[in-house]
Amino acid sequence: MGRATYTIRRLLQGIPVMFGVVLITFLLTESMPGDPVSIMLGPSPGLQQAAEIRAQYGLDQPVHIRFGKYIWNLLQGDLGRSLYYEVPVTTKIVERLPVTMLLVGASFVFGTITAIPLGVVSAKRRNKPVDHVSRVVALVGVSTPSFWIGLILIIVFAFHAQDVAWLPKFPATGLVLPWADPATIDGASSRYDVIARSLEHLALPTLSLGTLRMAAFTRIERSSMLEVLNQEYVKLARAYGVRERTILRKHAFHNAQLPLITIMGLQLTASLGGAVLTETVFEINGMGRLIITAVNNQDYYLVMGTTLMFGVVFVVGVIVVDLLYAYIDPRVSYEGGD
Amino acid sequence: MSTTIEEDAQESDVEDATAGEPEARVGLRYTLSQLKRDPTAKVGGYIIAFFAVIATVAFIDTNVLAWVGHKYWFAETFWVNPVRDPATTQILRPPLSLTNDLHPGAPGDWNHVLGTDHRGRDILVRLFYGTRIAMMVGIVATGIGTVMGVVVGAVAGYYGGWVDDALMRAVEVLYAIPFLVLVIAFMVAFGRNLLFAMIGVGIRTIPVFARLIRSEVLSVREEDYVEAARASGVTNRKLIQRHVIPNSFAPVLVQATLQIGINILVIAGLSFLGFGAQPPTASWGQMLSVSRGYMLPAPWFSVWPGLAILLAVIGFNLLGDGLRDALDPRIQNR
Amino acid sequence: MSDANTLLDVENLRTQFFTEEGTVRAVDGISFDVNEGEIVGLVGESGAGKSVATSSLMRLVEDPGEVVGGTVTFKGETLIDFEENTKGELRPSEAMLSNAEMRENVRGNEIAIIFQDPMEALNPVFKVGSQIREFIEINRGFDEGEAKALAVDMLREVGIPEPEERYHSYPHQFSGGMRQRVLIAMALACEPSLIIADEPTTALDVTVEAQILELVDDLREKYDTAFVWVTHDMAVIAEICDRVNVMYLGEVIEEAAVDDLFHDTKHPYTDALLDSIPRPDQTTAELNPIVGVMPEAINPPPGCRFHTRCPDAREVCKRAEPAYQDVSEPGERPHHVHCVKYEDVGYEYSDPLDTEATGAFAGDLMETETEGEADD
Repeated sequence: MGRATYTIRRLLQGIPVMFGVVLITFLLTESMPGDPVSIMLGPSPGLQQAAEIRAQYGLDQPVHIRFGKYIWNLLQGDLGRSLYYEVPVTTKIVERLPVTMLLVGASFVFGTITAIPLGVVSAKRRNKPVDHVSRVVALVGVSTPSFWIGLILIIVFAFHAQDVAWLPKFPATGLVLPWADPATIDGASSRYDVIARSLEHLALPTLSLGTLRMAAFTRIERSSMLEVLNQEYVKLARAYGVRERTILRKHAFHNAQLPLITIMGLQLTASLGGAVLTETVFEINGMGRLIITAVNNQDYYLVMGTTLMFGVVFVVGVIVVDLLYAYIDPRVSYEGGD
Repeated sequence: MSTTIEEDAQESDVEDATAGEPEARVGLRYTLSQLKRDPTAKVGGYIIAFFAVIATVAFIDTNVLAWVGHKYWFAETFWVNPVRDPATTQILRPPLSLTNDLHPGAPGDWNHVLGTDHRGRDILVRLFYGTRIAMMVGIVATGIGTVMGVVVGAVAGYYGGWVDDALMRAVEVLYAIPFLVLVIAFMVAFGRNLLFAMIGVGIRTIPVFARLIRSEVLSVREEDYVEAARASGVTNRKLIQRHVIPNSFAPVLVQATLQIGINILVIAGLSFLGFGAQPPTASWGQMLSVSRGYMLPAPWFSVWPGLAILLAVIGFNLLGDGLRDALDPRIQNR
Repeated sequence: MSDANTLLDVENLRTQFFTEEGTVRAVDGISFDVNEGEIVGLVGESGAGKSVATSSLMRLVEDPGEVVGGTVTFKGETLIDFEENTKGELRPSEAMLSNAEMRENVRGNEIAIIFQDPMEALNPVFKVGSQIREFIEINRGFDEGEAKALAVDMLREVGIPEPEERYHSYPHQFSGGMRQRVLIAMALACEPSLIIADEPTTALDVTVEAQILELVDDLREKYDTAFVWVTHDMAVIAEICDRVNVMYLGEVIEEAAVDDLFHDTKHPYTDALLDSIPRPDQTTAELNPIVGVMPEAINPPPGCRFHTRCPDAREVCKRAEPAYQDVSEPGERPHHVHCVKYEDVGYEYSDPLDTEATGAFAGDLMETETEGEADD
């Protein structure tokens, strides 16, 4: 069948899921009590004004018509207009999405870079002190609420550090995008400056969101590595005189990453949820906060738009992971079903 | 496993093919004996028991006694009411023997071992009563998710075909909407109280178990003893009930234990955002949310609720890991 | 027993596994040897310790297992040796090759191994050709180009069609028989003096098995490699082995030239084993399985380990541990047996023992039930 066809098939299979996401979100939003218009206009709005707004936003139509219209607009790229911000939903999303992607991306990178060596070393020196320490760290990492880590990090490195000389200081809030125009950032006069500030602001939130990633990945890497090291082909390689180091690096490593890749896809949704919490703690203006604001204000179109966005990111992420897996594992054929 | 088959043998003439074998390596007793040998699993068990006892006491004092109009009777008699505002100036007291910027000359004392919150309420007692929320939501939500997820997943896995496709697509939709978003929207739609939080988290737990049991069922379905039973005329429903589900159960049990821990984290997150138990009810996540506003003057306020969550979840993780090791037939030595 | 042609000499090898449930005496004092160019069989039921024995030879036993005693020499080099220290404990001796030397000089280039399940034994994410090439580079010191050429040659040699293309295939793209040929190619490419084949045909169809056996025979003639052939299939033994060792519960209980083993069987276990094989040229009303199940190696029966299932067991068998000795007549080929019957401990005067094989239950020894019928 070939890779291209497989990709297209997977993408097409994502559509029913996306449809389901839209439908469920629509239904949930419909059942929200309260009238978005009165929220917008305050108590006792003038009837004329209310009717105008309603017509403007299409809120006076019956449910199925609204749904149909929404889908129609969707296919044309129009996600509606935010009641609260009074700008097109797409604008808000374009503004906020990169921020969240940066945060989630950074946490994934952090998690992976730390977890793989930790997991491999842990498996190799099973039941020795290194292993025990790493297992304890992983256990704590998986059991800690990410927002609490964020709070503690802020207390120590942003507030407390003001008084203590030898503690590195990090900003407590906000994110700076590395590709932003230096003119828009205070105290930055070059790209270099911007990147530096960006990293500074990223440090604590990444640590906060990434600890859970790191812990989860370490555990999986360790157990996957252990399982692979027990396989016949590893024993064969040893029997033919291959050095331990080569066995770890080449024969075992490649095989051990496969379960990790699968898990990464599943962790993506968890990450997006965790991003909501982290963004709240660090007052970062990303998609997470956007959706909370939208839900709290019953901003109909914004809720739909953002949830849809999350859904898209998830589906695309899963497909990317699937493709990555198929690329890496030669046993996967492109024929047949999932 | 062999017991289930023997029972069925009387009904459907399936021959028991196992010759005399040394002591069985499966079953409740063996699992318990394995667990007893695992020190970390035991620690996990003790931690859970500890929190369970506290939660039960808190539950009785809150929900049960409320019926007879004496809510918080225990608290008031032996300690202090966790939700009543004492209306003193003793707000944001530091923990035992420490000072903070608000009370520079007055270190903490035994009256309030962990300090007080922004309304002067003792933190330790609120942590105590917050256990109720964490354990309740954790267990109930996981229960909902497990039961429904197992049914959905088992049916999907067993029947296959379009049933499988349809069910799993539906499950995937639940999975695609981010955790918090789904629950939050659910609660905004139906009511911002604890009951809906529990249901929401429960619904969100369904996909985890549906997928898990579906893949177990897919492999068990191909096993010879299922073929044999089917060939002897055992009905599909009975097959699922008597053979398929019990043999797929081990990973479900492990996941359920771990999932309680996960759901405790989730409800903490929800409470943090304001979507869990509403004030003045004490809940760990909500306490953390409030503490945010006082990070500078009273940093310790932020520490204790987080530690409570950490400890509870560690307990479930330890036990879950221990269960996984004990139930995995492949692991003969650790 | 060693003479000029002895390649491998194993004496009193012992390997144990230290588990939570107890110490498993997987290999409890086995001795055998392999001469140049011959195929020596190692046969026994599952759990007898055959695979552990071969892993022990190569010093590939892993935690919680450990080689705890014995001497193994290969072509004059000491692979395994133990000596007593002042406290009377056995410790690995200085004469043993170091781990590095084992790896560089012995594993692969001198002794190669072929595993049972070719699907598991080949790394699924690497191409077959490069796996062979890597082993050739390590063990014969060729560079990449030469190694690749040799790999292709060996694939051709073992009968894989279009070897240049198949060099680039992945293991899952081969059938079971083909994969096993690949493993054989791997082994031969390193030109070892001895190949340990651990149940290489067990996972294959009978027809494929026949092809593989024929291949091995041809190759053996061509390259003059010696083999240790591990299996539980007596038919295979009859087909290709020169000499045979029969293992039971961690011990070698009989060793003989293949004809002697089949026609002049001395140990009751071997007898029972041969009896239990259905023969295509005879119609039988009933099968004669060996009654009972092999006990666990954690707690082997006292005295002779087979006595619990032996049809010829006597009281003395419970107490006396037989010695492994040569019971052949002068002028005949050596024939070793590990059985009380051939010793001077009063077997003839001892009372018969009720064992599972004689139809009664050995109540005080094992609490298992048998469902098969005793055959006398």
